Amino acid sequence: MKPPTSKEQDVQIYCTEVLDRFWLTDRVFEIKLSKPSTFRFMAGQRIRLLHGAIRRDYSLITAPHDPTLALCLKMIEGGEYSPILSSAEPGTRLSFTGPMGYFTYRPSNKPAVFVATGTGIAPFLSMVRTGVTDFTLLHGVHEAKSLYYQDIFRPAARLYIPCLAADADETGSGENVFRGRVSHYLAEHLAPNAYDFYLCGRQEMIRDVTLLVDEKFPGSLIYTEVFY
Amino acid sequence: MKIYTGSGDRGKTSLFSGERVSKSDPLVEAYGDVDELNSILGGLAASLPPEEGELVEEIQQIQSVLMHIGARLAVTPGSPVSAELEEITEEHSKGLESAIDRMDESLPTLKDFVLPGGHISAAWAHVARAVCRRAERHVVRLPTTQTASEDSEQLRNVVVYLNRLSDYLFVVARLCNQIHGLSDTPWKK
Ligand SMILES: Cc1cc2nc3c(=O)[nH]c(=O)nc-3n(C[C@H](O)[C@H](O)[C@H](O)COP(=O)(O)OP(=O)(O)OC[C@H]3O[C@@H](n4cnc5c(N)ncnc54)[C@H](O)[C@@H]3O)c2cc1C
Repeated sequence: MKPPTSKEQDVQIYCTEVLDRFWLTDRVFEIKLSKPSTFRFMAGQRIRLLHGAIRRDYSLITAPHDPTLALCLKMIEGGEYSPILSSAEPGTRLSFTGPMGYFTYRPSNKPAVFVATGTGIAPFLSMVRTGVTDFTLLHGVHEAKSLYYQDIFRPAARLYIPCLAADADETGSGENVFRGRVSHYLAEHLAPNAYDFYLCGRQEMIRDVTLLVDEKFPGSLIYTEVFY
Repeated sequence: MKIYTGSGDRGKTSLFSGERVSKSDPLVEAYGDVDELNSILGGLAASLPPEEGELVEEIQQIQSVLMHIGARLAVTPGSPVSAELEEITEEHSKGLESAIDRMDESLPTLKDFVLPGGHISAAWAHVARAVCRRAERHVVRLPTTQTASEDSEQLRNVVVYLNRLSDYLFVVARLCNQIHGLSDTPWKK
């Protein structure tokens, strides 16, 4: 029996080259990659970088129509792969598979609430660069200097709320800063309603927000992308 | 990535299309059956001897189709997510039909009901067949299976596929006994 082969069975490996790499904070960097001519993706999708036996997934932060690809990564101290990528010089060749994932923006008549922790902001950047506007965005970070890309998000968002750790130094974060977890902001400040929630980043945040949605925002949809 | 998330600890789960539903939701029951069936097919494949590589591969292709069916059942009809899913087509069921015909050629004609069992692999195939029938019943029970829309058409194709798959599994059970030199035990009423 030969049913039509499913998409994930014929995996194509793409080759790419590091074009540029720069630090956004002392731990987070952006890496620009050449775009293979046949590679297509949807905003919010990810690629899987291959390095020997190592495989790591990263959300694309560029728009599908951009001439290059880019990723936003946290360099994990003691991590297996991110430190290697954090020192990859321009010209370094990489291979990847993809695109993967279903974390794409789905327009609807419910208000969209994007919630990210740390580099979980990555897929939203691609969505905004594709023209998505009028969403509420919460970005949970430890300190204000980790609000990378806020200049891109502020004009596109209806409401942009940085959520800083309670003891963070606030300088440089602008107005509308919330001190505390993203789930606390939602519990305390988001008006009861049905929303489309898009959650990306730490598993614990995704769990907390999901349980809160069950309690406080029934009728909402939840789309998730778990990083770790 | 951790296996457990904890967001289902209070009896609800997330559908692929984003809704939070009770774990007793008819869709969850239906894709739960498909998951159970898929796992049993894993048991069936594992119980086959190494020289049956082609049959194992065929079973793995079915497992892959069942993954797509599971995803389809985790989406509420009308959701924009439907469009992103792999389609279940007539071709999938036709593939099962030719496999059934191929196997049937080598099997003695069936005159009686047979008792489910025999070789362990045949026993697995019978368990899979019975669970497949339950999955089919749960899909048929979904309200949308009866309505006319693109999603309903997909669900109807799923019903056809599951119906054909249980016939396929019946024949596989008989083949498994034959491979191992056993004959089916007739039901003595
Ligand atoms: C779908 C998906 C998309 C992802 N997209 C991105 C992305 O766009 N940017 C990105 O930086 N990472 C992303 N990740 C995480 C990434 O795949 C790696 O897990 C990460 O780079 C660590 O790899 P490593 O080999 O350096 O560390 P490892 O040796 O594999 O692990 C070290 C530990 O680091 C922690 N960790 C992993 N990722 C992060 C993170 N982003 N922030 C804080 N702690 C973390 C985990 O607890 C992990 O156990 C994504 C993961 C998934 C599953």
